[in-house]
Amino acid sequence: MNNPLRSPDIVWRVEKRRQAEVLKALEAGEDVDDSGTVILLQSGMMHQLNLVGGLIWQQCDGQQTLAAIAAELAREFSVEQEEVESDVDEFVTDLKERGWLING
Amino acid sequence: MAEVTEMFSAPLTFNWTLSYRCNFVCEHCYSRDEECPELAIQDIKRVVDILVEQQVPFINFGGGEPLIRKDLYEVAEYASKRGLNVSMNTNGWLLDEVAAQRLKDVGFKSVGISIDSSEASVHDAFRNMPGSYEKAVRGLDALRKVGLKSTMSSVISRINYQAFRELLDLAREHGVNQVYLHNFKCSGRGLKNREELDLTPAEWQAFYLEALAVKHQTDDLTISFDDPVIASLPEYQEKTMVKGSSCGKLSLHLRPNGDITPCGFIPVVVGNILKEDFEKIWFDSPVLKAMRAKEATGKCAGCSAFDDCQGGCTARAFATTGDFNQPDPHCWK
Ligand code: SF4
Ligand code: SF4
Repeated sequence: MNNPLRSPDIVWRVEKRRQAEVLKALEAGEDVDDSGTVILLQSGMMHQLNLVGGLIWQQCDGQQTLAAIAAELAREFSVEQEEVESDVDEFVTDLKERGWLING
Repeated sequence: MAEVTEMFSAPLTFNWTLSYRCNFVCEHCYSRDEECPELAIQDIKRVVDILVEQQVPFINFGGGEPLIRKDLYEVAEYASKRGLNVSMNTNGWLLDEVAAQRLKDVGFKSVGISIDSSEASVHDAFRNMPGSYEKAVRGLDALRKVGLKSTMSSVISRINYQAFRELLDLAREHGVNQVYLHNFKCSGRGLKNREELDLTPAEWQAFYLEALAVKHQTDDLTISFDDPVIASLPEYQEKTMVKGSSCGKLSLHLRPNGDITPCGFIPVVVGNILKEDFEKIWFDSPVLKAMRAKEATGKCAGCSAFDDCQGGCTARAFATTGDFNQPDPHCWK
């Protein structure tokens, strides 16, 4: 199976307050690409994912195919699936290279 | 840097004292003179539920001696099944292979054992407990045997600061790959015995310079320090998640009755986890706010290291002066 799965070595959480604020900012038309909403902890280091990355991350439970993840993301942002497919692909490939995602 | 509560909606770690009871009376211990009613198992589980709801990822049991509470296993199993990453610190006295296997079975991620000297007689005398060195080392071996990650903790003081390399070797011999060289806290018995045990500021500086040099040359062991004053050394290059003490920012401490203090060494209660709304405590407590935004006072005012060091360890400053904002008494500047 090639469905992306979060590495069990990573501890993570959604920062709900920040996510709510970022969603508000997004609605107001602000650029939120650099605002972290999910924190990942790995051997004492912290990394952050932005809204889009965080939403993809939360779906990487090993059960969803890349297409299913893209479809869900498209639904969240009310856009066509094709528009987000390459973003999802790129994000997952990058995180697999870092070892944060593995093949589920 | 963004405010702590903007970054974190809850701490990452709760250091949890289930009981102040202990089978030892160590010279440096902060908790021998503490007394506190303990929660019943149902209430402890309620605390776990709150931590899960608040998305606190790590709990670390300390004490007192965690293995003294017979229901530690039940608590840990409940917590780890609910997704928390559970660890603890023990003196190792009760940690035989059967106990180690049980700890593994109930989901512990790692277990830390306190060893203060690689010489049995020195450790035993410091811990006021003949035979404690042997049992602590046996504990490390038991953990290795059952395949549970072990760490070693040593509180640096006069008895061991010149022999820390031997402590690292001891860790290596017993399959430990992470060693914590803790700073001496001067609370509780540590404060009473401070004159005998604590190093002078100049000795602390020399110790940290040496220990950092060893750390930079070591790749088979992770050597960790928890002393914020170390950040004032240019040789210290670690990227930390917050500046200064991590207490009240990344971690909080729970007392046996559910009272929350910023850390185990600061006896100031900021609320009770079962009686008050946790978010209110985390976001609004005036004590936590003061600790997160320390004001450079005394020699810290104008110190070029203040940005990184934040006045050093808040607990030590508070224990010796009663004021969070005073410079850490270990500071060598
Ligand atoms: S003077 Fe204050 S800020 Fe400067 S190194 Fe000492 S404790 Fe840290
Ligand atoms: S106040 Fe000092 S003792 Fe307490 S957690 Fe912070 S650094 Fe450690």
